[in-house]
Amino acid sequence: MFSSALATEFLKLRRCKVTWATLVGISMGPLGIALFMWIVREPGRAEQLGLLGTKANLSGLEATWPSFLSMLTLIVGIGGMLLLSFIVAYIFGREYTEGTAKNLLALPVRREWFVIAKLIVALAWWMTLVVAVLAEAFAIGLALGLPGLTAEMAAGGVRNALLAAGISYLLVPVIAWITVLGRGFMPPLGFALAMMALGNLFGKTGWADWFPWSIVPLMIGMVGQPETLPASSYVVLALTFVAGVAGTVAQVHYSDNAQ
Amino acid sequence: MTTDSAITTRGLSKRYADVLAVDGLDLHVRRGEIYGFLGRNGAGKTTTIRMLLGLIRPTGGEVEVLGRRIVPGETEVFGRIGYLVESASAYPNLTVRENLEVQRRLTCSPAAAVPETIKLLRLEPYADRRAGRLSLGNKQRLSLARALLHYPELLLLDEPANALDPAGIVEVRELLRSLADERGVTVFMSSHILAEVAHLADRIGIVHDGRLIEESSRDDLATKARTFSTKVFSEQERADAMLTMELERYFLWRTGDEFQGGDA
Repeated sequence: MFSSALATEFLKLRRCKVTWATLVGISMGPLGIALFMWIVREPGRAEQLGLLGTKANLSGLEATWPSFLSMLTLIVGIGGMLLLSFIVAYIFGREYTEGTAKNLLALPVRREWFVIAKLIVALAWWMTLVVAVLAEAFAIGLALGLPGLTAEMAAGGVRNALLAAGISYLLVPVIAWITVLGRGFMPPLGFALAMMALGNLFGKTGWADWFPWSIVPLMIGMVGQPETLPASSYVVLALTFVAGVAGTVAQVHYSDNAQ
Repeated sequence: MTTDSAITTRGLSKRYADVLAVDGLDLHVRRGEIYGFLGRNGAGKTTTIRMLLGLIRPTGGEVEVLGRRIVPGETEVFGRIGYLVESASAYPNLTVRENLEVQRRLTCSPAAAVPETIKLLRLEPYADRRAGRLSLGNKQRLSLARALLHYPELLLLDEPANALDPAGIVEVRELLRSLADERGVTVFMSSHILAEVAHLADRIGIVHDGRLIEESSRDDLATKARTFSTKVFSEQERADAMLTMELERYFLWRTGDEFQGGDA
Protein backbone atom coordinates (compact mmCIF):
# COMPACT_ATOMS: atom_id res chain seq x y z
CA MET A 1 0.00 0.00 0.00
CA PHE A 2 2.94 2.32 0.50
CA SER A 3 3.66 2.27 -3.22
CA SER A 4 0.05 3.34 -3.89
CA ALA A 5 0.34 6.19 -1.41
CA LEU A 6 3.60 7.30 -3.03
CA ALA A 7 2.21 7.02 -6.57
CA THR A 8 -0.85 9.10 -5.67
CA GLU A 9 1.31 11.77 -4.04
CA PHE A 10 3.18 12.17 -7.33
CA LEU A 11 -0.10 12.11 -9.27
CA LYS A 12 -1.39 15.00 -7.17
CA LEU A 13 1.34 17.23 -8.60
CA ARG A 14 -0.02 16.91 -12.13
CA ARG A 15 -0.80 20.34 -13.64
CA CYS A 16 0.33 21.87 -10.37
CA LYS A 17 1.48 25.44 -10.92
CA VAL A 18 3.40 25.54 -7.66
CA THR A 19 6.04 23.12 -9.00
CA TRP A 20 6.78 25.48 -11.90
CA ALA A 21 6.70 28.50 -9.61
CA THR A 22 9.40 26.98 -7.39
CA LEU A 23 11.50 26.14 -10.44
CA VAL A 24 11.21 29.70 -11.72
CA GLY A 25 11.94 31.00 -8.20
CA ILE A 26 15.14 29.06 -7.66
CA SER A 27 16.35 29.57 -11.23
CA MET A 28 16.42 33.31 -10.52
CA GLY A 29 19.34 32.60 -8.17
CA PRO A 30 22.04 31.76 -10.76
CA LEU A 31 20.69 34.54 -13.00
CA GLY A 32 21.13 36.97 -10.12
CA ILE A 33 24.69 35.77 -9.47
CA ALA A 34 25.42 36.02 -13.19
CA LEU A 35 24.18 39.60 -13.20
CA PHE A 36 26.53 40.48 -10.34
CA MET A 37 29.44 38.71 -12.06
CA TRP A 38 28.75 40.57 -15.27
CA ILE A 39 28.61 43.90 -13.44
CA VAL A 40 31.94 43.17 -11.72
CA ARG A 41 33.53 42.24 -15.03
CA GLU A 42 32.11 45.25 -16.83
CA PRO A 43 32.60 48.16 -14.40
CA GLY A 44 32.00 50.71 -17.14
CA ARG A 45 28.56 49.37 -17.88
CA ALA A 46 27.99 48.80 -14.17
CA GLU A 47 28.42 52.49 -13.60
CA GLN A 48 25.64 53.13 -16.09
CA LEU A 49 23.43 50.87 -14.02
CA GLY A 50 23.83 53.13 -10.97
CA LEU A 51 23.02 51.49 -7.63
CA LEU A 52 23.36 47.95 -8.89
CA GLY A 53 26.96 48.67 -9.84
CA THR A 54 27.67 50.22 -6.47
CA LYS A 55 26.18 47.28 -4.59
CA ALA A 56 28.12 44.79 -6.68
CA ASN A 57 31.34 46.59 -6.00
CA LEU A 58 30.58 46.89 -2.29
CA SER A 59 30.05 43.18 -2.01
CA GLY A 60 33.70 42.60 -2.87
CA LEU A 61 32.85 39.96 -5.41
CA GLU A 62 35.25 38.57 -7.94
CA ALA A 63 34.08 37.34 -11.28
CA THR A 64 35.65 33.90 -10.83
CA TRP A 65 34.41 30.35 -10.51
CA PRO A 66 35.24 30.03 -6.77
CA SER A 67 33.20 33.15 -6.07
CA PHE A 68 30.39 31.99 -8.34
CA LEU A 69 30.22 28.54 -6.70
CA SER A 70 30.34 30.03 -3.22
CA MET A 71 27.31 32.19 -4.00
CA LEU A 72 25.56 29.22 -5.54
CA THR A 73 25.95 27.27 -2.27
CA LEU A 74 24.53 30.28 -0.45
CA ILE A 75 21.47 30.27 -2.71
CA VAL A 76 20.91 26.54 -2.42
CA GLY A 77 21.49 26.62 1.35
CA ILE A 78 19.65 29.73 2.51
CA GLY A 79 17.22 30.19 -0.38
CA GLY A 80 16.63 26.47 -0.27
CA MET A 81 15.74 26.47 3.43
CA LEU A 82 12.93 28.90 2.68
CA LEU A 83 11.86 27.38 -0.64
CA LEU A 84 11.90 23.86 0.75
CA SER A 85 9.77 24.99 3.70
CA PHE A 86 7.31 26.40 1.19
CA ILE A 87 7.28 23.13 -0.76
CA VAL A 88 6.64 21.04 2.34
CA ALA A 89 4.01 23.47 3.62
CA TYR A 90 2.28 23.16 0.25
CA ILE A 91 2.45 19.36 0.04
CA PHE A 92 1.03 18.86 3.54
CA GLY A 93 -1.03 22.04 3.83
CA ARG A 94 -3.01 21.63 0.61
CA GLU A 95 -4.82 18.62 2.11
CA TYR A 96 -6.31 20.98 4.70
CA THR A 97 -6.94 24.02 2.52
CA GLU A 98 -8.48 21.89 -0.23
CA GLY A 99 -10.51 19.90 2.31
CA THR A 100 -9.06 16.56 1.24
CA ALA A 101 -7.34 15.54 4.50
CA LYS A 102 -10.53 13.88 5.68
CA ASN A 103 -10.59 11.84 2.46
CA LEU A 104 -7.14 10.44 3.20
CA LEU A 105 -7.40 9.62 6.87
CA ALA A 106 -10.10 6.95 6.73
CA LEU A 107 -8.68 4.73 4.01
CA PRO A 108 -7.15 1.27 4.16
CA VAL A 109 -3.72 2.87 4.17
CA ARG A 110 -1.67 3.49 7.31
CA ARG A 111 -1.58 7.21 7.99
CA GLU A 112 2.18 7.23 8.45
CA TRP A 113 2.57 6.07 4.84
CA PHE A 114 1.08 9.37 3.72
CA VAL A 115 3.56 11.28 5.86
CA ILE A 116 6.53 9.32 4.49
CA ALA A 117 5.23 9.47 0.91
CA LYS A 118 4.83 13.24 1.14
CA LEU A 119 8.34 13.63 2.54
CA ILE A 120 9.69 11.53 -0.33
CA VAL A 121 7.82 13.68 -2.85
CA ALA A 122 9.29 16.78 -1.20
CA LEU A 123 12.77 15.24 -1.46
CA ALA A 124 12.29 14.37 -5.13
CA TRP A 125 10.91 17.82 -5.86
CA TRP A 126 13.78 19.48 -4.00
CA MET A 127 16.47 17.34 -5.63
CA THR A 128 15.00 18.09 -9.08
CA LEU A 129 15.24 21.80 -8.32
CA VAL A 130 18.80 21.49 -7.01
CA VAL A 131 19.96 19.51 -10.05
CA ALA A 132 18.22 21.98 -12.35
CA VAL A 133 19.78 24.97 -10.62
CA LEU A 134 23.24 23.38 -10.69
CA ALA A 135 22.93 22.66 -14.41
CA GLU A 136 21.69 26.19 -15.01
CA ALA A 137 24.54 27.65 -12.91
CA PHE A 138 27.25 25.77 -14.77
CA ALA A 139 25.72 26.68 -18.12
CA ILE A 140 25.62 30.35 -17.13
CA GLY A 141 29.14 30.28 -15.67
CA LEU A 142 30.52 28.74 -18.85
CA ALA A 143 28.59 31.23 -20.98
CA LEU A 144 30.09 34.08 -18.98
CA GLY A 145 33.55 32.61 -19.52
CA LEU A 146 34.52 32.87 -15.84
CA PRO A 147 38.15 31.95 -15.18
CA GLY A 148 39.59 29.35 -12.87
CA LEU A 149 37.36 26.29 -13.32
CA THR A 150 38.95 22.92 -12.63
CA ALA A 151 37.30 19.53 -12.35
CA GLU A 152 38.19 19.41 -8.67
CA MET A 153 36.66 22.82 -8.02
CA ALA A 154 33.49 21.91 -9.92
CA ALA A 155 33.16 18.70 -7.90
CA GLY A 156 33.73 20.65 -4.68
CA GLY A 157 31.06 23.21 -5.65
CA VAL A 158 28.55 20.50 -6.44
CA ARG A 159 29.42 18.65 -3.22
CA ASN A 160 28.92 21.78 -1.09
CA ALA A 161 25.64 22.66 -2.78
CA LEU A 162 24.35 19.11 -2.31
CA LEU A 163 25.44 19.10 1.33
CA ALA A 164 23.63 22.40 1.96
CA ALA A 165 20.57 21.04 0.14
CA GLY A 166 20.70 17.84 2.18
CA ILE A 167 21.01 19.66 5.49
CA SER A 168 18.09 21.90 4.54
CA TYR A 169 16.05 18.79 3.84
CA LEU A 170 16.74 17.35 7.30
CA LEU A 171 14.89 20.34 8.80
CA VAL A 172 11.68 19.92 6.81
CA PRO A 173 9.85 17.26 8.84
CA VAL A 174 9.53 19.87 11.58
CA ILE A 175 7.91 22.16 9.02
CA ALA A 176 5.58 19.28 8.08
CA TRP A 177 4.70 18.87 11.76
CA ILE A 178 3.85 22.55 12.12
CA THR A 179 1.76 22.32 8.94
CA VAL A 180 -0.41 19.44 10.16
CA LEU A 181 -0.62 21.06 13.58
CA GLY A 182 -1.72 24.40 12.11
CA ARG A 183 -3.68 22.84 9.20
CA GLY A 184 -2.63 25.34 6.58
CA PHE A 185 0.19 27.22 4.89
CA MET A 186 0.71 30.23 7.11
CA PRO A 187 1.87 28.64 10.40
CA PRO A 188 4.75 26.68 8.78
CA LEU A 189 5.88 29.64 6.68
CA GLY A 190 5.85 31.91 9.71
CA PHE A 191 7.73 29.26 11.66
CA ALA A 192 10.33 28.83 8.90
CA LEU A 193 10.98 32.57 8.74
CA ALA A 194 11.26 32.80 12.52
CA MET A 195 13.69 29.87 12.62
CA MET A 196 15.83 31.41 9.88
CA ALA A 197 16.02 34.67 11.84
CA LEU A 198 16.89 32.76 15.00
CA GLY A 199 19.42 30.71 13.05
CA ASN A 200 21.15 33.90 12.02
CA LEU A 201 21.12 35.12 15.60
CA PHE A 202 22.44 31.85 17.07
CA GLY A 203 25.00 31.76 14.29
CA LYS A 204 26.70 34.74 15.85
CA THR A 205 26.93 33.02 19.23
CA GLY A 206 28.90 30.02 20.36
CA TRP A 207 25.82 27.82 19.99
CA ALA A 208 25.73 27.82 16.22
CA ASP A 209 26.80 24.16 16.03
CA TRP A 210 23.84 23.16 18.17
CA PHE A 211 20.92 25.09 16.73
CA PRO A 212 19.55 23.25 13.66
CA TRP A 213 18.69 26.40 11.70
CA SER A 214 22.17 27.86 12.30
CA ILE A 215 23.98 24.91 10.82
CA VAL A 216 23.44 25.73 7.13
CA PRO A 217 24.47 29.40 7.56
CA LEU A 218 27.49 28.20 9.52
CA MET A 219 28.50 25.67 6.88
CA ILE A 220 28.28 28.08 3.97
CA GLY A 221 30.03 30.89 5.81
CA MET A 222 27.07 33.20 6.06
CA VAL A 223 27.83 33.69 9.75
CA GLY A 224 31.62 33.74 10.03
CA GLN A 225 34.05 31.68 8.00
CA PRO A 226 32.81 28.55 6.19
CA GLU A 227 33.66 25.58 8.33
CA THR A 228 33.52 21.83 8.40
CA LEU A 229 30.68 20.82 10.65
CA PRO A 230 31.45 18.99 13.88
CA ALA A 231 29.88 15.57 14.42
CA SER A 232 27.60 17.08 17.06
CA SER A 233 25.89 19.19 14.38
CA TYR A 234 25.08 16.10 12.36
CA VAL A 235 23.64 14.49 15.49
CA VAL A 236 21.49 17.59 16.10
CA LEU A 237 20.27 17.50 12.49
CA ALA A 238 19.48 13.78 12.68
CA LEU A 239 17.55 14.27 15.93
CA THR A 240 15.65 17.20 14.40
CA PHE A 241 14.71 15.04 11.43
CA VAL A 242 13.56 12.13 13.61
CA ALA A 243 11.61 14.42 15.95
CA GLY A 244 9.91 16.08 12.98
CA VAL A 245 8.84 12.77 11.44
CA ALA A 246 7.68 11.36 14.80
CA GLY A 247 5.74 14.55 15.60
CA THR A 248 4.03 14.61 12.21
CA VAL A 249 3.07 10.93 12.39
CA ALA A 250 1.77 11.32 15.95
CA GLN A 251 -0.23 14.38 14.93
CA VAL A 252 -2.00 12.66 12.02
CA HIS A 253 -2.55 9.53 14.10
CA TYR A 254 -3.89 10.87 17.34
CA SER A 255 -5.29 14.34 16.76
CA ASP A 256 -8.92 15.04 15.87
CA ASN A 257 -9.62 15.89 12.28
CA ALA A 258 -12.57 18.22 12.55
CA GLN A 259 -11.77 19.99 9.28
CA MET B 1 -22.15 -6.66 19.61
CA THR B 2 -24.22 -8.69 17.15
CA THR B 3 -23.05 -10.06 13.82
CA ASP B 4 -25.93 -8.50 11.84
CA SER B 5 -24.74 -5.11 12.93
CA ALA B 6 -23.08 -2.74 10.49
CA ILE B 7 -22.65 0.01 13.06
CA THR B 8 -22.85 -0.24 16.82
CA THR B 9 -22.01 2.53 19.24
CA ARG B 10 -22.26 2.33 23.00
CA GLY B 11 -22.30 5.42 25.15
CA LEU B 12 -20.50 7.34 22.42
CA SER B 13 -19.59 10.85 23.55
CA LYS B 14 -17.52 13.75 22.36
CA ARG B 15 -16.78 16.85 24.35
CA TYR B 16 -15.12 20.00 23.00
CA ALA B 17 -14.15 22.11 26.00
CA ASP B 18 -17.54 23.14 27.46
CA VAL B 19 -19.60 21.75 24.59
CA LEU B 20 -20.89 18.19 24.71
CA ALA B 21 -21.32 17.57 20.96
CA VAL B 22 -22.36 13.93 21.30
CA ASP B 23 -23.80 12.63 24.53
CA GLY B 24 -23.91 8.90 25.26
CA LEU B 25 -25.10 7.83 21.82
CA ASP B 26 -26.26 4.21 21.46
CA LEU B 27 -26.74 3.30 17.82
CA HIS B 28 -27.44 0.00 16.17
CA VAL B 29 -27.59 -0.03 12.38
CA ARG B 30 -28.38 -3.36 10.77
CA ARG B 31 -26.60 -4.64 7.70
CA GLY B 32 -28.42 -3.88 4.46
CA GLU B 33 -30.67 -1.17 5.81
CA ILE B 34 -30.80 2.53 5.03
CA TYR B 35 -30.61 4.48 8.24
CA GLY B 36 -31.51 8.16 8.26
CA PHE B 37 -29.76 10.17 10.94
CA LEU B 38 -31.84 13.25 11.26
CA GLY B 39 -31.11 16.36 13.26
CA ARG B 40 -30.87 20.12 13.15
CA ASN B 41 -27.62 21.91 12.40
CA GLY B 42 -25.24 21.41 15.31
CA ALA B 43 -27.12 18.38 16.66
CA GLY B 44 -23.99 16.19 16.52
CA LYS B 45 -24.50 14.37 13.21
CA THR B 46 -21.18 15.22 11.59
CA THR B 47 -19.24 14.64 14.81
CA THR B 48 -20.85 11.20 15.08
CA ILE B 49 -19.93 10.31 11.49
CA ARG B 50 -16.36 11.51 12.06
CA MET B 51 -16.12 9.27 15.12
CA LEU B 52 -17.48 6.32 13.12
CA LEU B 53 -14.60 6.93 10.69
CA GLY B 54 -11.93 7.43 13.32
CA LEU B 55 -11.37 11.01 12.20
CA ILE B 56 -12.25 12.20 15.68
CA ARG B 57 -11.48 10.33 18.88
CA PRO B 58 -14.43 9.88 21.22
CA THR B 59 -14.10 11.16 24.75
CA GLY B 60 -16.30 8.29 25.90
CA GLY B 61 -17.89 5.07 24.69
CA GLU B 62 -16.95 2.82 21.82
CA VAL B 63 -17.57 2.34 18.12
CA GLU B 64 -17.75 -0.88 16.16
CA VAL B 65 -18.14 -0.78 12.38
CA LEU B 66 -18.54 -3.94 10.27
CA GLY B 67 -17.37 -5.99 13.21
CA ARG B 68 -14.19 -4.00 13.87
CA ARG B 69 -13.56 -1.62 16.74
CA ILE B 70 -12.50 1.78 15.50
CA VAL B 71 -9.26 2.57 17.27
CA PRO B 72 -6.14 4.51 16.18
CA GLY B 73 -4.19 2.43 13.70
CA GLU B 74 -7.24 0.56 12.36
CA THR B 75 -7.09 0.48 8.57
CA GLU B 76 -8.50 -2.84 7.33
CA VAL B 77 -12.17 -1.92 7.77
CA PHE B 78 -11.86 1.31 5.78
CA GLY B 79 -11.47 -0.68 2.58
CA ARG B 80 -15.10 -1.74 3.10
CA ILE B 81 -16.49 1.71 3.86
CA GLY B 82 -17.30 4.54 1.48
CA TYR B 83 -17.90 7.94 2.94
CA LEU B 84 -18.64 11.56 2.31
CA VAL B 85 -18.12 13.93 5.20
CA GLU B 86 -19.75 17.35 5.24
CA SER B 87 -18.50 19.29 2.21
CA ALA B 88 -17.49 17.98 -1.20
CA SER B 89 -13.74 18.09 -1.69
CA ALA B 90 -11.31 17.12 -4.42
CA TYR B 91 -7.90 18.07 -5.79
CA PRO B 92 -8.73 21.07 -7.98
CA ASN B 93 -5.77 20.61 -10.36
CA LEU B 94 -6.77 17.01 -11.15
CA THR B 95 -9.59 15.99 -13.45
CA VAL B 96 -12.60 14.03 -12.26
CA ARG B 97 -11.01 10.88 -13.66
CA GLU B 98 -7.67 11.59 -11.96
CA ASN B 99 -9.33 12.33 -8.63
CA LEU B 100 -11.04 8.96 -8.82
CA GLU B 101 -7.77 7.36 -9.88
CA VAL B 102 -6.23 8.57 -6.60
CA GLN B 103 -9.05 6.87 -4.70
CA ARG B 104 -8.79 3.72 -6.85
CA ARG B 105 -5.11 3.30 -6.12
CA LEU B 106 -5.51 3.90 -2.41
CA THR B 107 -8.31 1.34 -2.14
CA CYS B 108 -6.66 -1.16 -4.53
CA SER B 109 -9.79 -1.23 -6.70
CA PRO B 110 -9.77 -2.59 -10.26
CA ALA B 111 -9.05 -0.18 -13.11
CA ALA B 112 -12.59 -0.62 -14.44
CA ALA B 113 -14.00 0.91 -11.27
CA VAL B 114 -13.19 4.44 -12.43
CA PRO B 115 -15.21 4.47 -15.70
CA GLU B 116 -18.00 2.46 -14.08
CA THR B 117 -18.36 4.97 -11.26
CA ILE B 118 -18.18 7.91 -13.64
CA LYS B 119 -21.06 6.38 -15.56
CA LEU B 120 -23.02 5.53 -12.41
CA LEU B 121 -22.89 9.15 -11.20
CA ARG B 122 -23.48 10.54 -14.72
CA LEU B 123 -20.18 12.34 -14.71
CA GLU B 124 -19.15 11.36 -18.27
CA PRO B 125 -19.42 14.91 -19.70
CA TYR B 126 -17.08 16.14 -16.97
CA ALA B 127 -14.69 13.18 -16.71
CA ASP B 128 -11.74 15.13 -18.12
CA ARG B 129 -12.62 18.45 -16.55
CA ARG B 130 -10.55 19.68 -13.63
CA ALA B 131 -12.36 19.34 -10.32
CA GLY B 132 -11.66 22.99 -9.57
CA ARG B 133 -13.85 23.94 -12.52
CA LEU B 134 -16.88 21.85 -11.56
CA SER B 135 -20.13 23.27 -10.25
CA LEU B 136 -20.90 22.60 -6.59
CA GLY B 137 -23.44 19.98 -7.58
CA ASN B 138 -20.96 18.10 -9.75
CA LYS B 139 -18.33 18.34 -7.03
CA GLN B 140 -20.84 16.65 -4.76
CA ARG B 141 -21.34 13.94 -7.41
CA LEU B 142 -17.59 13.49 -7.58
CA SER B 143 -17.46 13.08 -3.81
CA LEU B 144 -20.23 10.50 -4.01
CA ALA B 145 -18.35 8.74 -6.80
CA ARG B 146 -15.25 8.66 -4.59
CA ALA B 147 -17.34 7.08 -1.82
CA LEU B 148 -18.77 4.42 -4.14
CA LEU B 149 -15.72 3.62 -6.23
CA HIS B 150 -14.43 0.64 -4.26
CA TYR B 151 -17.81 -1.15 -3.96
CA PRO B 152 -18.14 -0.56 -0.20
CA GLU B 153 -20.35 -2.65 2.09
CA LEU B 154 -21.19 0.42 4.12
CA LEU B 155 -21.78 3.99 3.04
CA LEU B 156 -21.50 6.80 5.55
CA LEU B 157 -22.94 9.90 3.96
CA ASP B 158 -23.10 13.24 5.65
CA GLU B 159 -25.74 15.42 3.98
CA PRO B 160 -25.34 13.67 0.59
CA ALA B 161 -27.92 15.88 -1.13
CA ASN B 162 -26.01 19.09 -0.40
CA ALA B 163 -25.72 21.30 -3.49
CA LEU B 164 -27.62 18.85 -5.70
CA ASP B 165 -30.54 20.12 -7.77
CA PRO B 166 -33.94 18.41 -7.33
CA ALA B 167 -33.30 15.99 -10.20
CA GLY B 168 -29.89 15.16 -8.75
CA ILE B 169 -31.43 14.51 -5.35
CA VAL B 170 -33.91 12.06 -6.85
CA GLU B 171 -31.16 10.34 -8.86
CA VAL B 172 -28.98 9.91 -5.78
CA ARG B 173 -31.97 8.71 -3.79
CA GLU B 174 -32.69 6.06 -6.42
CA LEU B 175 -29.04 5.10 -6.62
CA LEU B 176 -28.79 4.57 -2.86
CA ARG B 177 -32.02 2.58 -2.84
CA SER B 178 -30.76 0.31 -5.59
CA LEU B 179 -27.40 -0.16 -3.86
CA ALA B 180 -29.20 -1.27 -0.70
CA ASP B 181 -31.72 -3.49 -2.51
CA GLU B 182 -29.47 -5.04 -5.16
CA ARG B 183 -26.06 -5.15 -3.53
CA GLY B 184 -27.02 -5.22 0.13
CA VAL B 185 -25.06 -2.07 0.86
CA THR B 186 -25.79 -0.53 4.26
CA VAL B 187 -26.37 3.21 4.07
CA PHE B 188 -26.04 5.53 7.03
CA MET B 189 -26.96 9.03 5.95
CA SER B 190 -27.32 12.18 7.94
CA SER B 191 -29.52 15.09 7.03
CA HIS B 192 -31.26 18.04 8.55
CA ILE B 193 -34.08 17.73 6.00
CA LEU B 194 -36.78 15.25 6.97
CA ALA B 195 -38.12 14.94 3.41
CA GLU B 196 -34.72 13.77 2.23
CA VAL B 197 -34.52 10.84 4.62
CA ALA B 198 -38.26 10.16 4.71
CA HIS B 199 -38.20 9.18 1.04
CA LEU B 200 -35.35 6.78 1.47
CA ALA B 201 -34.60 5.49 4.94
CA ASP B 202 -35.89 2.24 6.36
CA ARG B 203 -35.33 3.55 9.87
CA ILE B 204 -34.83 7.05 11.12
CA GLY B 205 -33.03 8.21 14.23
CA ILE B 206 -33.58 11.75 15.44
CA VAL B 207 -30.61 13.30 17.18
CA HIS B 208 -30.84 16.48 19.23
CA ASP B 209 -28.17 18.08 21.40
CA GLY B 210 -25.98 15.05 20.80
CA ARG B 211 -28.57 12.57 22.05
CA LEU B 212 -30.73 10.10 20.15
CA ILE B 213 -34.22 11.22 21.15
CA GLU B 214 -36.25 8.98 18.86
CA GLU B 215 -35.73 5.99 16.61
CA SER B 216 -38.54 4.61 14.42
CA SER B 217 -39.20 2.88 11.15
CA ARG B 218 -40.10 5.24 8.34
CA ASP B 219 -43.73 4.05 8.36
CA ASP B 220 -44.12 4.57 12.10
CA LEU B 221 -42.64 8.02 11.84
CA ALA B 222 -44.92 8.89 8.91
CA THR B 223 -47.97 7.80 10.93
CA LYS B 224 -46.86 9.92 13.88
CA ALA B 225 -46.23 12.86 11.55
CA ARG B 226 -49.68 12.59 9.95
CA THR B 227 -51.37 12.50 13.35
CA PHE B 228 -49.29 15.47 14.47
CA SER B 229 -50.06 17.37 11.29
CA THR B 230 -53.80 16.81 11.67
CA LYS B 231 -53.69 18.07 15.25
CA VAL B 232 -51.42 21.07 14.78
CA PHE B 233 -51.73 22.46 11.24
CA SER B 234 -54.69 24.11 9.57
CA GLU B 235 -56.24 22.92 6.29
CA GLN B 236 -54.61 25.89 4.52
CA GLU B 237 -51.13 25.01 5.84
CA ARG B 238 -51.50 21.43 4.72
CA ALA B 239 -52.72 22.57 1.32
CA ASP B 240 -49.65 24.86 1.01
CA ALA B 241 -47.34 21.99 1.86
CA MET B 242 -49.06 19.82 -0.75
CA LEU B 243 -48.71 22.58 -3.36
CA THR B 244 -44.98 22.88 -2.64
CA MET B 245 -44.59 19.15 -3.21
CA GLU B 246 -46.58 19.28 -6.44
CA LEU B 247 -44.53 22.21 -7.73
CA GLU B 248 -41.38 20.23 -7.10
CA ARG B 249 -42.76 17.25 -9.01
CA TYR B 250 -43.82 19.53 -11.89
CA PHE B 251 -40.34 21.05 -12.01
CA LEU B 252 -38.83 17.58 -12.18
CA TRP B 253 -41.19 16.60 -14.99
CA ARG B 254 -40.41 19.77 -16.99
CA THR B 255 -36.70 19.03 -16.71
CA GLY B 256 -37.37 15.42 -17.65
CA ASP B 257 -34.54 15.23 -20.20
CA GLU B 258 -32.19 15.09 -17.22
CA PHE B 259 -34.51 13.38 -14.78
CA GLN B 260 -35.72 9.97 -15.95
CA GLY B 261 -37.85 9.02 -12.99
CA GLY B 262 -40.65 11.57 -13.38
CA ASP B 263 -44.17 10.27 -13.63
CA ALA B 264 -46.10 13.53 -13.58
